[in-house]
Amino acid sequence: MFRNASSVAWLIALNAVIGAALAQAPAPPAGVENEQRAWQNWTLNCQGCHRLDGSGSAGTAPSIAGTVAKFLWVPGGREYLIRVPGVATSSLGDADLAELMNWMLWRFDREHLPVHFQPFTASELAPLRPRPLRLEASQMRSDLLAKAEASGPP
Amino acid sequence: MAQFDQLTERVLRGFASRTSRRSIFSVLGGFIAGAAALPLLPVAKGGETEANPNDPNSGEPAPQTSGNPQDPGDRTKCDYWRYCAIDGSLCSCYGGSVTSCPPGTEMSPITWIGTCRNPADQRNYIISYNDCCGGVAWGRCACQNNQGDRPVVRPQTNNEVTWCFGTKSQSYTCTVALILGVAMETKK
Repeated sequence: MFRNASSVAWLIALNAVIGAALAQAPAPPAGVENEQRAWQNWTLNCQGCHRLDGSGSAGTAPSIAGTVAKFLWVPGGREYLIRVPGVATSSLGDADLAELMNWMLWRFDREHLPVHFQPFTASELAPLRPRPLRLEASQMRSDLLAKAEASGPP
Repeated sequence: MAQFDQLTERVLRGFASRTSRRSIFSVLGGFIAGAAALPLLPVAKGGETEANPNDPNSGEPAPQTSGNPQDPGDRTKCDYWRYCAIDGSLCSCYGGSVTSCPPGTEMSPITWIGTCRNPADQRNYIISYNDCCGGVAWGRCACQNNQGDRPVVRPQTNNEVTWCFGTKSQSYTCTVALILGVAMETKK
């Protein structure tokens, strides 16, 4: 009898924990129609070099985690995110890529997302992708991040 | 002018008497065989090699199976389902396994990721191919499966590149195949 009562108590406690976790689960990211698809596109196209946790690999794929949304704080940052070589020359279509970008910003740097963040759309990406950045990308990255750090979030 | 004619004639006759009309085939054959071997040169990871007496794991590897009907196949063979896009040697033949590097090697955090269909449930799984680096490349159990592989001009989707980045040693030993998740079914 006691064993039973204790397991019931456990179940209630477990329920409370799960309930709390569900209540606190963040709202799905803006501009992401299908989270599973966004995750899969990230895994197949980006994760290999940017790593599971978005920490990146020196020299080829810079860190995303805790940084990527800061580009949205400064003029030119939005365009930069689409024109970096890995994004602009991706084999994904504009709509899938826009969804992936919105998901990635939320997944790896939601604390730096501007309050009034406008999600990327296919029509915004289309004219930017034919003009990929090359070697200048790395210099642009440090310039933009320096400006963002100086200005802070909008 | 006459001297020039004589010289030309002598050279041509000499050439004709020294060579057979069919020798062109041997030259062409050399070019064709050479051209076929050329693309393999800069990126080959060892290919087929003879059994090496110094190789601690030489000889036919013992079969490794999961014992789980949902994960069928011998993990020391190139036709095991998770190896559908592998280009390299199997760590299962080197004292490692399908998910772990052999002793003395380090797993690269930078990986090639693709999908393979599991014959047991006919679902596609997302597979990460991690290279194990820092050991000796004996070239055993070398596999060339290229599902979803793209040319070297798209390095992020090319599996011939050695992915020993972010590790202490850049010397390639073998490759493991980790399951990252189940892929979405796409409508065709």
